[in-house]
This record gives sequence, C-alpha cells and structure tokens, in this order.
Amino acid sequence: MIKLINVTKIYAGQKEPAVRELNLTVEEGESCVLVGPSGCGKSTTLRMINRLIEPSSGTILIDGKDIRETDPDQLRMGIGYVIQQIGLLPHRTVAENIAIVPRLYGWPKDKIKERTDELLELVGLDPETTRSKYPAQLSGGQMQRVGVARAMAVDPPIMLMDEPFGAVDPIARNHLQDEFLRLQSLMRKTICFVTHDINEAIKMGDRIAIFNRGELVQHGSPHEILSNPVNEFVRDFIGYDRVVKKLSLCRVGAIARKDFGVIRESELPAAAEIMRKQQTEVSFLLDHLGAPGGMLARKLIEKQGAALSPGALKELAQKGREAFIQEDALLRDALSLLFELSVDYLGVLRGETLCGVVSLADIREYAAGKEVD
Amino acid sequence: MSIVQYFLNNFSFISKYAATHFSLIFGAVLISLLLWLPVGVLISRNEKLANTVLGIANTIYCIPSLALFSFLVTIPAFGLGRKSALLALVLYAMMPLVRNVYQGIKIVDKSVIEAARGMGMNSWRILREIQLPLAAPVIFAGFRITVVMTTGVAAIAAYIGEKNLGRLITVGLNGYNVEMIVTGALLIALIAIVLDTVLGFFERMMIPRGLRIRRG
Repeated sequence: MIKLINVTKIYAGQKEPAVRELNLTVEEGESCVLVGPSGCGKSTTLRMINRLIEPSSGTILIDGKDIRETDPDQLRMGIGYVIQQIGLLPHRTVAENIAIVPRLYGWPKDKIKERTDELLELVGLDPETTRSKYPAQLSGGQMQRVGVARAMAVDPPIMLMDEPFGAVDPIARNHLQDEFLRLQSLMRKTICFVTHDINEAIKMGDRIAIFNRGELVQHGSPHEILSNPVNEFVRDFIGYDRVVKKLSLCRVGAIARKDFGVIRESELPAAAEIMRKQQTEVSFLLDHLGAPGGMLARKLIEKQGAALSPGALKELAQKGREAFIQEDALLRDALSLLFELSVDYLGVLRGETLCGVVSLADIREYAAGKEVD
Repeated sequence: MSIVQYFLNNFSFISKYAATHFSLIFGAVLISLLLWLPVGVLISRNEKLANTVLGIANTIYCIPSLALFSFLVTIPAFGLGRKSALLALVLYAMMPLVRNVYQGIKIVDKSVIEAARGMGMNSWRILREIQLPLAAPVIFAGFRITVVMTTGVAAIAAYIGEKNLGRLITVGLNGYNVEMIVTGALLIALIAIVLDTVLGFFERMMIPRGLRIRRG
C-alpha cells in the first residue's frame, strides 16, 4: 500500500508548487492511474514515491513505513520502474538489461538466467532469439516489453510506470495494454501509472486520480469518474463522450438478460404462436444442430407475422444471423454491432452457445445509470 | 638519396633522439591521463566547475607552444629541460582529454541514466557500468588527439634543451643542414601519422558492440 499524506513539492526557484497538499492512497494490488494535462504534477508525484524527487513537505508511506527511513537506492531496488523512453542500456544485451536489478541483489548467475528466460516468455518474447540481442535490434514494442520485464525482474510488489506505452504506435500500444492487463490480473501488483491519455486511464486503472495544476481534482473508479465528474475541468478532461466511454467499462455478460425465446427451424410455421406463448421480446432461431442462426423480434412478428410463410419467416430471421456477440465483449462493441446491423437485439454467446440477450434499451439504461455497481 | 645516406650514417644518435622523444611522449601522456581523466569525470557532475575548468583548458590550449615553453623555463623550479617540457605537454593535453571525457559522459542518453537510477543503481555504478563504457569512444578520441599533438609539440621542446628528434631540426636550421632538417621533419611526421592510424583503428574497437550493430 502506498500512502501520500499532505505531500507538497515546490521546485527550487518556482513560486507555484508542482504538487500541493496531496493526499492519496493506493491500496495493495490496485492499479491507480494518475492522469492530467502536462505540468499537472502527476510525474512529480510518481517520482516522489521512489525518491527520485524529494517532497518539500509531507510524508509518503509504503506499507506503513516512511520511505525516508530507507536508503534511496535500496528503496528503488524494491520498486519496479518503467519510463516512456524505456532507457535500456544500449551496450548491454536484452538478458543483461533484465539482469540489472537481480545483479544489484547479488543473485547467482544461473538463477538470473532462469528468471530472465521466464520473464521474456511472460512478456511474450522468445528467450532463445531475444536474450542475446541488443536494444538497437528490437522494435519499439519489443523494447517496451523488455522494459516491463526488467522492471519485474525481482518481482517487486510495487511498480511505477511513467507513460510506459506513450512512445509506441497505437496498434502496439493497444496490444501492450491488453498484455499488461493480463499480467496484472495474474500478479495483482500495486501499480502507479502515469498517463495524459484519459482513454488509457479508463482502460488501465482500477482507480483514476485526475490532477490539475498540482492538485488532485478527483479520485475514484473509472465508473464513478465517468458517471459523476466533480467539476467542469473533469467533465472537460474526460470529454463529452463520457457516457459512450462508460461502455468500455462493462462487458456484455454483465447486463445480458435471460428472457429470450428459442425457435427451432422445424417450428417456424408456428413461430408467431410460440412467440406469443413465450412472452419474450425476441426469439432466436436455432438450426437443426442447435446453433443460433437468426433472430425474430416479437414487435415485428405481431405486426405481420401471421401473414408470412415459413420460408419468408426464415429469411426474415436470417437477416439477424450476424447479430450475436461474445459475453466477454465490451458494451462499446455491442453498441457498434447494433448500429452496424441496424437491429435492436443481440444474442449473447458463451463460446458457441446462446446464453442471453442484450438490447439497445439495456445499453441505454446502463449508460444513463448514475451508479449501477 | 642523401637523406637516406644521412639517416644511415647517423643512425646511432638519431635513434637516441628518437628514444628521448618517445620517453617524453610516454611520460607526458601518462601523467596527462592520470591527471585529466579524473578531472573530466569530476566536472561532469558539477556544471559550474565544468565551465571554469573547460575555460582554463581552452585558454591554455590557445597559447603558442614556443611561448609556453619559454615562459616555463623562466620559472626557477622548472628551468631548462624535461620538467618544463613535461609540464607544458601535460597542460596542452588538458583540453582534448578533459573536454572529451566531459562530453563523452554528457552525451549519454538521459533516459538511460534516469532508468538506471530508478532501478537503484548508485552513481558510482552508473559511472562505471554505463557512462564510461558509452563514453569510451569519445574519451579514446581525446586520447588519440593528445598522443598526436604531444608528438608534434615535444619536438619544439628541443628549443629548451630536450635532446629529441626536434633537435635535428633546430640544429639543422642553425647550420642550414638540409639533410638533417628533412630527416628530422620526416621522422616526426611519420611517427605522428603512424600513431594516429594505429590509434584510429583502436578507436573503432572502443565502440560498444551494442552500438555498432543495427536491426537485422
């Protein structure tokens, strides 16, 4: 756990503090994203935690212990640190770069080698081909993976990351973010993550701390912040599409309902009858193998269903044959698919099986909700 | 032909002059390295000190060598001979050595240092494992300039009593002995060129492997 108490930093020769009276707690195993415009004090805050910068006043505790009681080098050896420019040593191989902190701890050679290979695999690099390469031989994304592996070398409980994915292209960044989230779900480290990109903050943070001019403006879960921005600055900073951004926070499975009907291909002639009986808004068409292959909305059937032949019904249902989405997809993707297909309902799949339904109205309700969880 | 003849006929004293010449170069370069490398490292950690020291080095470097030699000779503690010669050469070496050590360390990528500090490396370790290896080619370039320059300036020390290859020129000029002058000049030039070429080869070897290879 990291706890900052009344921390202020005024740089020599400046009137305005870079960080003012900051109180912030990052719980064990939580990732806290510090976000704000440039010069807001987020990087200064991060660098005070590993004593690269000393606060002018206030106290920082790590697991209840004042960090001033630990020698700065010792303190930093126990905290993973990743920066945007990565800072790999250009004259050292990938393996030697990863081995820096283990060597500071005086690990034996074979233990270091074993750990290096393990880390390379963990961050998705092939140890065999990568370990003896030099940084100049790697792509930007690969370098950043090595940077992350290096920071995790001695498995520190705390990681400080200063715009770690800021220098790679958007596709690689997305990929690195996903991979890092996967790693974090396994390791549950306590993470402080600095970014100026609100979308990255929403994606990476269990909690988000929004800074402006050296002050903490709002601290809360991404959902809280998107639902209840405390002031105009936060509203402005997160953007006027905040409700749409909320849809990135929730997976389809979380709001899917179970009240859907099922019609087998053989039952098509009696479709209207069955749907009336089932009393559901929507029914999905299953083929003879039980695989979902279409959709019928009750509204539509009630209007004209009785007049349609089974063949026409089948054709109508199959217009919605792409209207299915996996339960672990984001609501944002579901919304996009709803618009793309111009339908009102999506079948929710768990693998190949139908397990629920989500409608445009459900998504709207979620987005409008102030506090659902 | 007569130059070769002259060289062969007088080989015994020319070789003695050459030996003196080399011992002066060797002594001056050795003292310079011991003195100026630490100074270069020291000023890389203190901007203010760096400005002063580099300023002094520049000023000394601007003084014509004959003037500096003559000036040192008038100081009783030094006088005519080796002490003054060594001191002058060491002073000249200050500029290329101190400046190159300082610049070599300063041009190391800041983010590499930042990352290293952030991982808990202390400044001594950063100097030894990062800054010096990465600065090595630049430092070595300074060493190379020093050696070549010292070879040339050492010849001028013949005016203050050093019996080295420069003496072939000073004495030769006095009696207008063309063979003697040309032999001396050619030898000094040849030594400087050979040293420069050999050191140039080593300079390329100093570039760390990781900086020589590219993505492949």
